Amino acid sequence: MVTADKVQGLAKARAVYQDRTQRVKELQQEEKKIFGYLCIYPILELLTAFDIVPFRLFGDINEPVTKANNYLPMVVCPFLRSYLDLGLKGKYSFLDGIITSHICDVGAGVPAIWNYAIKMPYSYHIDTPHTLRESAQEHHRQLLDSFQKSLEQYTGQQLDPGKLVAAIGKHNEQRVLVRELYDLKKPDPPLISGVETIQVIKTIQSLPVAEGNQLLREVIADTKERRDKPARKTSRLMLWGSILDNTSLVEMIESLDASVVMDDTCVGSRPYFNDVKITENPLNGLASHYLNHIKCPRTFISDYNAQQKDYEGDLKRRYGYLGDYSREWHVNGVIMEALRYCDTHGYEVPSVKDYLNQIGLPGIYLEHDYTLGMISQLKTRVQGFLEIIA
Amino acid sequence: MYALRAEVDKMYAAGEQASTEGKPVAWVMLGQWAEPILTAMDVVTIYPENYGSACAAAGKASDAEGFPSHVCSYARNCFGYSAKMAELGGAIPPSAPMGGMPSPTVLVASAEICDARFKWFQALGRYFKAPIWTVESPYPGLKESLEEGTDERCIKYLVRQSREFVNFLEQLLGKKMDWDKLDEIARGLAGINRLRWEINRLRRAHPGPMHSKDLWSTITAAFFRGAESKAILDGFQKMLNEVKQRVENGVSGINVPEKFRLSFDGLPPWHSLDIFDKLAERGWNFVIELNYKPGTPVNIDLSKYPDPLERYVRERYQSTNNTLEVEYTPEEAAVIRDEIMRTGTSARLAVKHVLDCQCDGTFIHILLSCRSASLNLCSFQQKAMDILKVPALILEGDMVNASLFDPAEVLKKAEAFEETMAYYRQVRKEAGISW
Amino acid sequence: MFAIFFAGVDLGSTMTKIVIIDETELTVAATVKHTGAEHRRLASQVMKEALHTAGLTINDIAYIVATGYGRINVPFADRQLTELTCHARGVSKYFPNVRLAIDIGGQDSKVLQIRNGKLLDFIMNDKCAAGTGRFLEILAGTLGLKVADLGPLSLSAKNKVTITSPCTVFIQQEVASYLSNGVPVSEIVAGLHDVIASKVSKMVKRLKLEPDVVFTGGVAKNIGVVRALEEHLGCKILVPEEPLLSGALGAALLGKEIVLNALAKGQTVPKSERRLEEAKLFT
Repeated sequence: MVTADKVQGLAKARAVYQDRTQRVKELQQEEKKIFGYLCIYPILELLTAFDIVPFRLFGDINEPVTKANNYLPMVVCPFLRSYLDLGLKGKYSFLDGIITSHICDVGAGVPAIWNYAIKMPYSYHIDTPHTLRESAQEHHRQLLDSFQKSLEQYTGQQLDPGKLVAAIGKHNEQRVLVRELYDLKKPDPPLISGVETIQVIKTIQSLPVAEGNQLLREVIADTKERRDKPARKTSRLMLWGSILDNTSLVEMIESLDASVVMDDTCVGSRPYFNDVKITENPLNGLASHYLNHIKCPRTFISDYNAQQKDYEGDLKRRYGYLGDYSREWHVNGVIMEALRYCDTHGYEVPSVKDYLNQIGLPGIYLEHDYTLGMISQLKTRVQGFLEIIA
Repeated sequence: MYALRAEVDKMYAAGEQASTEGKPVAWVMLGQWAEPILTAMDVVTIYPENYGSACAAAGKASDAEGFPSHVCSYARNCFGYSAKMAELGGAIPPSAPMGGMPSPTVLVASAEICDARFKWFQALGRYFKAPIWTVESPYPGLKESLEEGTDERCIKYLVRQSREFVNFLEQLLGKKMDWDKLDEIARGLAGINRLRWEINRLRRAHPGPMHSKDLWSTITAAFFRGAESKAILDGFQKMLNEVKQRVENGVSGINVPEKFRLSFDGLPPWHSLDIFDKLAERGWNFVIELNYKPGTPVNIDLSKYPDPLERYVRERYQSTNNTLEVEYTPEEAAVIRDEIMRTGTSARLAVKHVLDCQCDGTFIHILLSCRSASLNLCSFQQKAMDILKVPALILEGDMVNASLFDPAEVLKKAEAFEETMAYYRQVRKEAGISW
Repeated sequence: MFAIFFAGVDLGSTMTKIVIIDETELTVAATVKHTGAEHRRLASQVMKEALHTAGLTINDIAYIVATGYGRINVPFADRQLTELTCHARGVSKYFPNVRLAIDIGGQDSKVLQIRNGKLLDFIMNDKCAAGTGRFLEILAGTLGLKVADLGPLSLSAKNKVTITSPCTVFIQQEVASYLSNGVPVSEIVAGLHDVIASKVSKMVKRLKLEPDVVFTGGVAKNIGVVRALEEHLGCKILVPEEPLLSGALGAALLGKEIVLNALAKGQTVPKSERRLEEAKLFT
């Protein structure tokens, strides 16, 4: 097996993707602290500023859920069941701590179950609000003060504002680099496939930010020069929906006459398509970015003071950026995907469909259940959709 | 006991009347923060969640098209109902149970209790032009809730948010908030909560004086009828007196001798409540529930706070600190606090109702369409066994969709579970657990 | 003047259907066989039979399109298209004004929105047996009946039972309970047909119900289900004379379109090796 230290660029991304914990475990040998984090609302810059390496936590579609059956009923998000299952099996026992946030009902409840069933040296939960009203913005800002205090207690050090600004700089650099990578998906055929994109994103979420940035530069350089480009396909698709922490769905789609050239998912573009503004007190910019800029349906976006619902206007406010993406990346169809039992995305599906109808972009909704068997069942639906839009 | 049940019919009658008189109607969600503000501004409040349970009980639940099958069955009923209303140009569908829900002037969603609910009301934008407001509620993690400053921060957030809500309604309705009325309603609702809390303490008696079915019949009165809070306060006072008398006279909540004491954990199967009568015949007394618990009363000198919104929030905000102070002895509270600070959690908090009421078993109802109510039930089952040696009977079902719940299966398992409960009485005795 | 032929192979989970047409879209062969477990081998055998009926060899066929559940296991096919697109095309040949097609096969059911022979949208159910041919097979077994008898029997029922369970396994229990209570079998069968019609009508409601509505697939031969669907949807349901062939016919017609489009653009159409042998599991 090729190890990550022996290769560069895309090959390195693939190697790290196969064994995500290798690098962070090496860093632990060098006395670095590694904190796992769930979803994209924990404030990574604060961790980096305290010299803690953020390591994103996922499930494993190849590992049947067994132990988590004692702690979670079947009717909850299968990704979170898998995540808890891995924790119960000790796969995350190397972590020095875990940061969670109020992402959804189950995502907000699993940390307490984790604390009951698995002992962590450190854990912190950020109760991210759901609206963008002034009161919520202020509240979120204050939550960051508490998080900072907790990290200061843990590390025994005061937060160095200079280090925080530097951390924001590094993480912003990562956002810029990811956007640069996504620009390479605009040509026809795209220079990097949807499968490779997930591999790269998952990889940079497993490395310290500086190393992730270095890898991204190599991947971008590699991709521009590559001879083994993805084949040109008839359809260029955008993916919208809940977490896809493995490549199985996109592999299935790209085995057909389609490329996944853009996405609105969280192991994808969602964390990266806006930058943190550097404000006088850096925490202000961070609080604003993490609440306002991440376009996940867990946040209730609305014209809060509207006296009447303008449904079309509401759709544009919530999903207008999807229209922008579809134009910039020359998309001719959208795949809306959601995990079974994902309420956050499940309730959105009819509204997203309405928006796509509004802009004349065809879409299909696929529900999957975090098993490989289900992915193959969906193939006919995807192919049927491609036959419609071709 | 069932006098308060009548509030359900009154709620829908009030909705019908409001519609006829052109008064504003809000579709609201179960929660603490919206009801007093709305009713103080003379907005008639209707609760689509309750409508889901009413339709389920009437066997007339609607279904939703276009939404994944796993979404909340209260929401599915509401989507189906709303779609029919939209087809009829806003008119109430004929033969809608309880006279139906009138078209809303405003939708007041809530992220209290669960997030799925605000997604539900957001999706109603397909059917209604009514504006939408989402009430937020802070849910700090358990350890975080004990940090210095958390309670104040959360209270201030709720106060600021409530003020934003008042401003929004004043603009929408073209009238000003009646602060005196808000105060009156707020005291009424807080008073109702305190009475419910006192009643629940009496339910620890042997035999259990009040069955869960009785409790469920009072939900509407307890949460949804702010405008009538004075009259309802009276009703709950009468209920408290009745329960006191039952305790003094050893009167049970069931008509046969109490053989087994159970807690019901999960939302009730509204479509199949008669199953409890069949279980009662076997001596099963459901003496307490996990859901619809009254909040722990907050002992506070309200005169210190001139702002009526702040008075209401401080009086009702549920903090871990207050719960530990009021519901536990100082020694117990210290142990729990230490556990939370070390491990981030304390299993004792989850099983308190089982302990207080000395239950022989827990009936766990895992709801196929409700993640927030079902999420913790498996770990709850573990905790009840680990700490209290109390076994669980687990059934899957749903609060509205009757086809997902099999009452016959419950009865089939009853006898075996009675043996299990009897066995664990012995196990508890050997473990030095008092019942 | 020489004739050109096109073939459609619909390799379903229960039945394998092959249709060969000529350039005038006249059917020159149509073969239907049970798929069984060895469907890879069977496609070649059925194709040989169809060719024999038409008096042709495989190389006489200008283009072969495979569709259905096992479409990737047809090594002699030039192209694979989903049964969704193929059914839409085939049904439109039978009924040019079709707007909605319902297809209930052995193990899945689908509803197709169609306009001028083109598929616009679809809903598939391939997760739940209730609502498919398999459902009726299982329940016929429980009732000791042949599947072919279910339709006429249900029409003789004065009433129909209400089945409340969501799942085939529990429905079997419910049926057993009705039987032991002496409920007439015809009424139970009518209730089962209602289950299918109810499930399908939910799928239909997610699209647009517009006539003409056509019903295909093996279950379309069951007059009881046809009537139950008409009751649920409130409209006339059209059934082709041979409801199993619309997928294969559609595949053949689409093959013709592919060839003619290529010819019009001066392009050649890539073809397969035309090996009439079983597909290998591993390459």
